[in-house]
Amino acid sequence: MKVEMFYSPGCAACEDRQSELRAAAQEAVRDLEWRNVNVLDNMDTAVELGVITLPAIVIDGEVVFTSLPTKAQLCKALTERSGARN
Amino acid sequence: MITIGKLAGLTSVSNDTLRYYEAEGLVSPAGKSPAGYRLYDRDSARRIHFIKHAQQCGFTLAEIRDLLDVRGRDKACCGDVRTRAIEKKLQIESKIRAMKAMSKALDQLISECANEKRPVKECTIIAALERANGSKRMQ
Repeated sequence: MKVEMFYSPGCAACEDRQSELRAAAQEAVRDLEWRNVNVLDNMDTAVELGVITLPAIVIDGEVVFTSLPTKAQLCKALTERSGARN
Repeated sequence: MITIGKLAGLTSVSNDTLRYYEAEGLVSPAGKSPAGYRLYDRDSARRIHFIKHAQQCGFTLAEIRDLLDVRGRDKACCGDVRTRAIEKKLQIESKIRAMKAMSKALDQLISECANEKRPVKECTIIAALERANGSKRMQ
């Protein structure tokens, strides 16, 4: 499963929360690939995926969160998708 | 203090627009004359120029109200404004992409309709649009 977190550089909240969300996600699902994506360096990818607000979390190519989720919300979204895939 | 007419002249917007901005909570008179006319201070002109520039960058009036709010907030920083600007760029890029797709679809319709003299009942553009509508309904 692939998680991409799109952020704008200088977003203090993103920097603060990124590592705890990532750790929680990796604990919730096995074989998780996490990528922090600077939106200014990846504008085309963001537009293609439908990211229009920041920060945004994209799971397997789908925009799932348009603002920072809680750890519980993120884990729930990941486990639901993981369950549906298996 | 200046009247609405003077402010309109200074900022090149109409009196009606200024009243609309007031109704939208973007600008408000600093007071009223004894006769009850709206009176504005010099900061109002700066605010109007700000609104006009922000509109030119694609911000809606609701978004501009938010930007003005951030501008007046002591604890706000440049990053708060920058994120809004990046989000606006994402929205604009997304619209450009959608419009390019529309333009490409029109190119195809135009190229398929080579014979302009054909009666409208045989028009390939009309037929293609009807097909597209039909296939959408089927889904």
